[in-house]
Amino acid sequence: MDAKTQKYDRQLRLWGSGGQQALESAHILLINASAVGCEILKNLVLPGIGQFTIIDQGTVTQSDIGSNFFLDADSLGKSRAERAAELLGELNEDVSGHWVAKDILSALTENPSFLAQFSMVVASDISRQVAEKVSSLCWTNQHAIPFVWVKTVGLLGTARLILPEHAIVETHPDNVADIRIDNPFPELSNYAKSFDFNTQDTLEFGHIPYVAILLKYMEEWKQEHDGKIPGTYAEKNQLKANIRSGMRSGDDENFDEAINSVLRSCQPTAVPSAIKTIFSDPKCETLNPESSDFWILARAVRDFVNDHGKSGGLLPLSGTIPDMKAQTDSYVTLQSIYKTKAKQDVQEVSKLVDAVLESLGRAPGSIASEKIETFCKYSAFLKVIRYRSLEDEYTQPKTKQIASWLSEEDSLFAQYVLLRASDSFFDDHGRYPGEGNDWEEDVDHLHANVATLLQSWGIDTDVISKDQTHEIQEVIKLITHQYIPMDNTFIFDGARSVSAVFAV
Amino acid sequence: MVDAQTITDNERWAGVYKLLDRNSLIHPEFEPQEEIKEFIQSCKILVIGAGGLGCEILKNLALSGFCDIHVIDMDTIDVSNLNRQFLFRRADVGKPKAVTAAAFINKRVQGVTVTPHYCKIQDKDEDFYSEFALVICGLDSIEARRWMNATLVGMRDEDNPDSLKPLIDGGTEGFKGQARVILPGITSCYECSMDMLSKPTGFPLCTIANTPRLPEHCIEWAHILEWPNVHGERKMDTDDPKDIQWLYETALARARQYNIQGVTYSLTQGVVKNIIPAIAATNAIIAASCCNEALKIATTCAKNLNNYMMYSGNDSVYTYTFEHQRKDDCPVCSTSATKLDFKGDKTLEELMDYLKEKPDVQLKKPSFAVGGKPLYMQAPKQLEEAMRPNLQKPLSELFSSGDELTITDSTLPFSLQIIVTFI
Repeated sequence: MDAKTQKYDRQLRLWGSGGQQALESAHILLINASAVGCEILKNLVLPGIGQFTIIDQGTVTQSDIGSNFFLDADSLGKSRAERAAELLGELNEDVSGHWVAKDILSALTENPSFLAQFSMVVASDISRQVAEKVSSLCWTNQHAIPFVWVKTVGLLGTARLILPEHAIVETHPDNVADIRIDNPFPELSNYAKSFDFNTQDTLEFGHIPYVAILLKYMEEWKQEHDGKIPGTYAEKNQLKANIRSGMRSGDDENFDEAINSVLRSCQPTAVPSAIKTIFSDPKCETLNPESSDFWILARAVRDFVNDHGKSGGLLPLSGTIPDMKAQTDSYVTLQSIYKTKAKQDVQEVSKLVDAVLESLGRAPGSIASEKIETFCKYSAFLKVIRYRSLEDEYTQPKTKQIASWLSEEDSLFAQYVLLRASDSFFDDHGRYPGEGNDWEEDVDHLHANVATLLQSWGIDTDVISKDQTHEIQEVIKLITHQYIPMDNTFIFDGARSVSAVFAV
Repeated sequence: MVDAQTITDNERWAGVYKLLDRNSLIHPEFEPQEEIKEFIQSCKILVIGAGGLGCEILKNLALSGFCDIHVIDMDTIDVSNLNRQFLFRRADVGKPKAVTAAAFINKRVQGVTVTPHYCKIQDKDEDFYSEFALVICGLDSIEARRWMNATLVGMRDEDNPDSLKPLIDGGTEGFKGQARVILPGITSCYECSMDMLSKPTGFPLCTIANTPRLPEHCIEWAHILEWPNVHGERKMDTDDPKDIQWLYETALARARQYNIQGVTYSLTQGVVKNIIPAIAATNAIIAASCCNEALKIATTCAKNLNNYMMYSGNDSVYTYTFEHQRKDDCPVCSTSATKLDFKGDKTLEELMDYLKEKPDVQLKKPSFAVGGKPLYMQAPKQLEEAMRPNLQKPLSELFSSGDELTITDSTLPFSLQIIVTFI
């Protein structure tokens, strides 16, 4: 094992070499070397992003040193960006860190395409105006750049993900087993028939894989019921009873496994509705040379599903089966039957991928075969998240939804309103509430900001009474395109130790 | 007179003091007092574990204004720690975690003293633990957590408020984790929640020996059956790459023989060391929550978590905060015995195996006694040998239905009382 694999072992077990490669080619921009900003960057430098850049025009103060672990006493008075980049850079020799001692707005004035070099932007301690500017530049960049905006106030923290679309293949579902008892392919039916339930000795009988047991009883059921699988609860129980009656000893574990799988196996294998939605997405319907690999693959799988002769109207087989009581040989044979069928499906999809690529003027084979394989394996679990832009959040508030969130008991949405109001407070006073000496007065002003905001949404102003730090895995999920990031605003209330996610 | 040090302190802790100097909107009963600020600077706080969570916890405490921090850890630094244990560098590999972490914090954060204890938690006595205002655990071991929990629960004297040591416990696995606050004798304790743990993974011996199907079965065959055959008395060192390499090659050969795919070096290591995936981000989230609770408990600036927060980041970001209830028959924090129905014709060994695997019991090397009379003792060796035949006897020969068994285990600082009813 090489040194890097050793160092990253505990995370490779989560996102594998594909996820790691994605991290290593990422270049993250951090706007402002605040305590929370540096914490986020720390959690990205450690697992080994390729590069980071910190932009911050400030110099290090006592209070920075008191709250930010990546600024020390020697940093006092020096550039925050420079010192934070140095101390964060020490965490991982494989990451290269850069810094710019400027304010983000002046950097953007000097070079309007400054953001284009980054794969993701993370910001904290920025005003709403700056956030809107960065957000719109990221959103409209040729390849949209995900933007993560973080705020912390006292024991309250919030993070907002802003990007047009995030498509995930490796969502890491708990179980990708795809057994198809209701609708076996010919090779599988033949395999099941190869077990003679009458002549086997006790050892063999106790090791017939449950898949073969289920298939036998399901086939018998279908013959007696016009080819239909059990549908009602009573029918499913009857199938269980049929299987139980076939037991020899009463504690044949393999029969128990079969009985325990009846309910799941009586769910007809079909394309899940979430995947149908992806297939009918305009981006899947109408491809163009700019289409991402995800949409090209989705289209090819859709075409495969629509070709009933090849697919039977089903998604490519995952090729994964669970462990089960069985002799080694019969299990390995069963496994290879599923794997072979999965490979055949991948081959069919690959042909369709090449056809699509050709029609778009791209070279056949330009999407790697491993990528097609992975896509097919997880095709029942694909996920596309469309985020709202910051602009939409501000100019087209979901007033009905907001009213409903606010009406829930102990709703954390009140904290969202307070944070929005504190942005308005900043617009009015050039500082955030609580930063001055007269705290009581700030509270009164903030309450007025809350009232204005609620009025603009047409909501009664008395829903929020006057008396009323989060870190980020989300960036990793966005970069690796694995696991499912949140949509779109996360709020953590440290006073109550509760959190919530709102799609505002 | 305001001295220069106070001015620096006020600037440096400006963030924390905003919470402590003001009447709170979130907790109206809170009254700002200078004593509170003095208390967090002077109180002793103990961190158990200087690993992924421990590094984060030490950093957060140091930046929250706690100045007298102690840390216990018996481990040394491994290269696979470096992806998240940010107080360590490649040159530190092999050094004690507690010592290295303490030195780093002491250098980085002025005015904070972290005192390392490079030892097992079991090496310290109640006098040691009673010095601390609160204890935060960042451990990956169930055994150590049970020990710490039982020790702190056992130290509580209802007539002496200082004997109550709040225990904040964090844990992570991949993108998931949990943080909880245990007030010994008041809230549910760690032992009360043992049944929330999943059954330890293991494969039936007959599968490993006769019908391997998964790469894991081949690895366990090499690990459990073939190693002692080939190496005799020599104990395997799972930290020694040579031993892992041998296991890998042996498992691979068996897998080839049976046509089983998927034995890799990494999987071999994962199975035999029971490796749990770990990343910096999850540790940061859970440690932040633990230290947030520590600050709230130490300052009363907001109500503390009551008493459990689960966190999951696989699909979106989800937390669930709830009050875990005390268990009426908890062997640690209640006085009543646990009840168990078991067949009287089963042997003592079968009962022992059952209790070893039962998620809320999880014993390693239990000894059994009934009414003060030993039934089976793990040590000393002569006694073990003399009593071994009892393991094969049916329970009904050893005691009567409804008797109360006392079970002790060297890994637990308490004994289990179980009333066994024959069915």
